[in-house]
Amino acid sequence: MTQVRSDEPAAVELRGLTKRFGDTLALDGVDLVVRPGVVFGFLGRNGAGKTTAIRILSGLARPTAGTAHVLGHDVTHASDVVRSRIGFLPDVPGFYPWMTAREYLAFAGKLFGIDAATVDDRATALLEMAGLASVDTRIGGFSRGMKQRLGIAQALINAPSLLMLDEPTSALDPIGRREVLEMVASLRGRTTVFFSTHILADVERVCDAVAILERGRVVASAGVAELTDRATANRLVVEVEDDGAASTVARSLAGRAWLKSIETAGRSVRVAVSDLAAAQREIPAAIGEAGVALRRFEIEEASLEDVFVELVGGQEAR
Amino acid sequence: MTGFDAFLTKEFTEIRRTWRLWVIPGMLVFFGITSPIIAAITPALVHSMAASQPGVVIRVPAPTAFDAYAQFLKNLDQFVLIAIVITGAGAISGERSSGTAILALTKPLSRGAFVVAKILSQTMLLVTATALGTVVCLAVTAVMFDGANGARLVSTVAVWLLYAALLLVVMTLFSAGLRSRGAAAGAGLGFYFLALLLANWGPLARYSFFGLLPAMGNALMGKPLSLGWPLVTAVVAMAFGTVAAIRVFERQEL
Repeated sequence: MTQVRSDEPAAVELRGLTKRFGDTLALDGVDLVVRPGVVFGFLGRNGAGKTTAIRILSGLARPTAGTAHVLGHDVTHASDVVRSRIGFLPDVPGFYPWMTAREYLAFAGKLFGIDAATVDDRATALLEMAGLASVDTRIGGFSRGMKQRLGIAQALINAPSLLMLDEPTSALDPIGRREVLEMVASLRGRTTVFFSTHILADVERVCDAVAILERGRVVASAGVAELTDRATANRLVVEVEDDGAASTVARSLAGRAWLKSIETAGRSVRVAVSDLAAAQREIPAAIGEAGVALRRFEIEEASLEDVFVELVGGQEAR
Repeated sequence: MTGFDAFLTKEFTEIRRTWRLWVIPGMLVFFGITSPIIAAITPALVHSMAASQPGVVIRVPAPTAFDAYAQFLKNLDQFVLIAIVITGAGAISGERSSGTAILALTKPLSRGAFVVAKILSQTMLLVTATALGTVVCLAVTAVMFDGANGARLVSTVAVWLLYAALLLVVMTLFSAGLRSRGAAAGAGLGFYFLALLLANWGPLARYSFFGLLPAMGNALMGKPLSLGWPLVTAVVAMAFGTVAAIRVFERQEL
């Protein structure tokens, strides 16, 4: 794989991408830019529209409206060019059960027009990476995890400029998942990895940037650190002497202009705010006025999960 | 036709390694062997049945090579064509439902190449299997009967083969257009039986590929054939069916 140059076009660029299935709006004017060379997490609940977007990007489906560009090419008009430069793994990869893993890689390489010697070399390296080098059985006998690892290997056979993975770790055991994530992380800077997932821990572990998709719309798109910093800047935790005092504090803060939400859990009060400086000034004063002893008062480090739950407000995030 | 060579090679390898090698060729060879045998023992079977019913006398002429060929042709018409319908139903829908089409078509493989490779590989399998079955039938008939006229069987089977190839294209179209293998098989059986009915309508039989069906019997009996329109329309229909299958598949979202 070649090093990514800074003057390269965006790996993925979606503008007003809309996809409708009958009355159902799967994608609702999605705007998204993925810079080359990053590991990009496309995060969302099941049914948020992630797979639909990836199907459009890989040429398997057409948008109802809007545009989708991959590596500078419109996917609806330059599908051959796009397909020759991407690697793709669907959520449930389908292989010919009568082939061996090496035979499938040879078949995939031949479809890309790669010469046999190069395919053979790459297949050896990729099978090693996928932990399938010593497996001679036909794919029909593979476990789901083995198929997933082979799926990633076949997606890399053409040394793609953009690797698109749809829920690549969802079927894997913890060890297989770690191996896949390590492999994904190792590609950083050499190729762009665009992977969809609903597993927040995977995104936190390997992604440079993330977009959160909810009901067909991108509700946030930024670097992972930037996104968590943004949420961190809006969250405070207060700890007082007992449960009753926590309730007193919550009541005394109610109605403040900067207050977005407040919740108590035992002696702790978690406060989401719109103006951190004002909250930092007024909360200790309010606690003092209420005659409550303060034990701890600090900015809470937000995780991606906090960001996700705040933006999506759902119950399915892990 | 990007990726055509690679996908066609895959198709041939798949035929060699899976059940596809055995179904149509197996049937044709089986019928090639058994048709002359059944023709030879039919009079004995009829006599034994008649003997069990007092007062019934059935006179059956001595079997000939013609009976063996007619039996072979009947088996081709009744069983092999239906097998083509059933197996052809999954040609594309099977790849779509198993997810194998998605992995292949996100590589530089055009949908046109996908469809044409399917049709070409299955047609070549059909031609090879038919040739093999016919040779076997000719050989067994020659051993069992005197005065066999192999040329008639060959010309009859050639007409059948053209119709079978057309049916194969029709099944590929159904398989591309319909979501499930079952729906494609149902549509294919509908086409098969409708064709049997329409072939009995004189004008349509004269000027369309439906005329291939009655032409088979005429060829076997050595009657003069007027195959111009049926042949031309069959070839046109195959070309049209192939293009239609490609267009239908290209418009589909996977």
